[in-house]
Amino acid sequence: MKRKLSLLPAGLLAISAAFSAFTTTAQAADKYPSKPIQLIVPYAAGGGTDAVGRVLAESMKNILKQDVVVVNKTGGAGAVGMNEGLRAKPDGYTITMVTREVAILPMLGQAPFKTLDFKYVGNVNVDPEVVVVSSESSYKTIEDLISAMKANPGKLKFAAASAPNFYGVQFSIEAGVNFVTVPFQGAAPAMTEILGGRSDFGIYNPGEIKAQVEAGKLRPLAVMAEKRVEGLKDVPTFKERGLSIFCGTYRGIAVPPQTSDEVTKVLENAVAQAVKDPKFVEFMNKSFLGIEYKNPADFKAMVEADMKVLQPVVESINKK
Amino acid sequence: MDSIMPLLDGFNTAMMGWNLFYCLLGVTIGMLVGILPGLGPTTGIALLLPITFSMDAIPAIIMLSGIYYGAMYGGTVTSVLINTPGEAASVTTCFDGYPMARQGRAGTALGVAGIGSFIGGTISMFGIVFIGPPLAEMALGFGPPEFFALMVVGLVMVVGLMGKSLLRGLISMLIGLSLSLVGMDPLTGNLRFTFGEPNLVEGLDFVVISMGLFGISEVMIGMEQAMHLGALPKVGKLLPEREEWLPTLKAIGRGTGLGFLIGLIPGSNSVIPAILSYSIEKKLAKDPSRFGKGAIEGVAGPETANNSYCGGALIPLFTIGIPSSPTIAILFGAFIMHGLTPGPMLFQNNANFVWAVIASMFIGNVMLLIMNLPLARIWGKVAMIPPAFMYPGIVIVSVVGAYCTGNRIWDIWVMIVFGVIGYIMKKIDIPMAPIVLTFVLGKMIENSLVQSLIYFYGSPLGFLGRPLACGLLVVALVIFVAGAIAGIRNKRGLLADDIDA
Repeated sequence: MKRKLSLLPAGLLAISAAFSAFTTTAQAADKYPSKPIQLIVPYAAGGGTDAVGRVLAESMKNILKQDVVVVNKTGGAGAVGMNEGLRAKPDGYTITMVTREVAILPMLGQAPFKTLDFKYVGNVNVDPEVVVVSSESSYKTIEDLISAMKANPGKLKFAAASAPNFYGVQFSIEAGVNFVTVPFQGAAPAMTEILGGRSDFGIYNPGEIKAQVEAGKLRPLAVMAEKRVEGLKDVPTFKERGLSIFCGTYRGIAVPPQTSDEVTKVLENAVAQAVKDPKFVEFMNKSFLGIEYKNPADFKAMVEADMKVLQPVVESINKK
Repeated sequence: MDSIMPLLDGFNTAMMGWNLFYCLLGVTIGMLVGILPGLGPTTGIALLLPITFSMDAIPAIIMLSGIYYGAMYGGTVTSVLINTPGEAASVTTCFDGYPMARQGRAGTALGVAGIGSFIGGTISMFGIVFIGPPLAEMALGFGPPEFFALMVVGLVMVVGLMGKSLLRGLISMLIGLSLSLVGMDPLTGNLRFTFGEPNLVEGLDFVVISMGLFGISEVMIGMEQAMHLGALPKVGKLLPEREEWLPTLKAIGRGTGLGFLIGLIPGSNSVIPAILSYSIEKKLAKDPSRFGKGAIEGVAGPETANNSYCGGALIPLFTIGIPSSPTIAILFGAFIMHGLTPGPMLFQNNANFVWAVIASMFIGNVMLLIMNLPLARIWGKVAMIPPAFMYPGIVIVSVVGAYCTGNRIWDIWVMIVFGVIGYIMKKIDIPMAPIVLTFVLGKMIENSLVQSLIYFYGSPLGFLGRPLACGLLVVALVIFVAGAIAGIRNKRGLLADDIDA
């Protein structure tokens, strides 16, 4: 109840803060941040990126002593919001939550910007992908699944959570297998296909499969990560099974390239602290989202490395 | 009947202190997000989700689910009053709800919608309690081929909504189907008809199009005629006329069953039961020509169906851990955040929680009914505001709503463009209902057809091996042929009306 009541003062604060934003532009020399910061989430409210953005904003707010307001700018599979964040005034008052799509969209020619146009501030979340089958399936291990695909090329059905499915294509290239991809809009309808016995396997992230794995309906076979994942400790990585498939999604904060180093540093420190905030940690753990902080240099390096991984995948998709 | 005792326990928990308050808060917020076009239950729940983080699981989920079903009540209001759907599931309510308001029956439209919503919502709760779990398992067998067949049935029934001229109806249908093609191709992710515009990549937004076609165009037409409008009609009474009760209750009954069953199907959404219910009501009506001119069944059926859908859609969430619609997906996230895993173990591990939430929904529906009936009278007065104040109001609400859907100016322009299109269509007498209906169905038909064909390794004959899908396709064929024969008998040839006119 206390929580509810605190909304009113918070609202008044936001209004007065917004008001002061108009009046204090002349005092721009003030120490950053001197007014609320807008965090662009390029996806709709309610998705995974939105959740990470909101809890991160909450933690950053306490560190920066300024409101961090999440604004969902949807469209273009993320391209619209990211582009707006990139073209925003580089004063640090508009920051953007970028996702793996920051690398994918330009490669597909579906974004009006280049991946490395952004100044990367800090990565907060990495989620590897997990290969799952129905618990009633005869495939008990990842080897079972792969040998079945090799024995019947182009017969097994993959219930994909999106189209084109980068995880599926990468799996197919790197494991040297061939299967049929059935595209769905989102992991939930795709998993339904596996539960209903119409599709043979799927590739999703840990948060998406958690409920079904715990209920014993889906069997995770292997994780596309360097090391095993918290919460799925019994599930081997592809690496352990001799296949170097690393694949997943990531989310972090980026700003326009002209943003001053001073401002970037403040944001960098705030992000670095926010990922250690117990509230942030608790939320991420509960939602089964992996916390992985990367500083600006490491974040950029990760994105660059991912572009190399994506290159053959995108080429293979463009060929089709 | 071993569900009774735990349910009573659930009532006990749901009635306790603050839980009751959070239920009221949830349904009230739900009403409000439902009323404001552009803000729907999905956004409403997503925005409040972080606030519930520090709350206990039971009050948190009680409140969030209150938003979910409360929005279905609220969405009706703007549809009836200003011809602008408050949220997607209420688009069909514009067809007859707004004409009713023009006839001075806004109160009746809202009253019937409230009563229907209550009946649909409550009976679907009984469905959860008594027959839910086995049905959910069965629904898993409903795959893309069956979904495709069901959508084809829907499409064929839309033909029945075409107004007086088949040709004009078909033009409208084709516009809707073409618009549904804009955006990413579901199979390959290639872009279609986007002209290099990133804002078009995800296609056009259903609610934004509807706001333009119905709301904005109405303002334009109204401005032309404003000078000639006489005194606006009275609010009218809340309840239907005596002779309307029977058809209304029948429509409510059908809407309840339909909404509940469709809720069970993974991948569905609350627009589908509303569309199907509207089509069925028009098909079954003795005088289908009343539809579009203020037929009460056209409001009662769909408004009931979308509430009943809400209950039905919770079953797959509770029992197999599958969210069947985008809104439920966010509720799913809320469950996880509060340490509850939706799925078969939920009833066993957290029985107290589940029953308390279900009980709160019974209570919430009663609250909504109590709120809505008196409110219907007040809302009805809004319909009497003189055009000079009403039209700017509609435009303001619509512009804010369109912006809210994606926080971008783009959607406002899209809405205005569709407002102009709607205006032209009204001028040349092309019905608008088929556009929005085929727009929704078109996407789903394409998706499920592509998915089915991949499953059948490319052979359409695969449908023959799926009894349910095959049966539904036969039903579609029968409706189509029967409609065609009836059309010829009535000498309502393809162009008859155009020639007469």
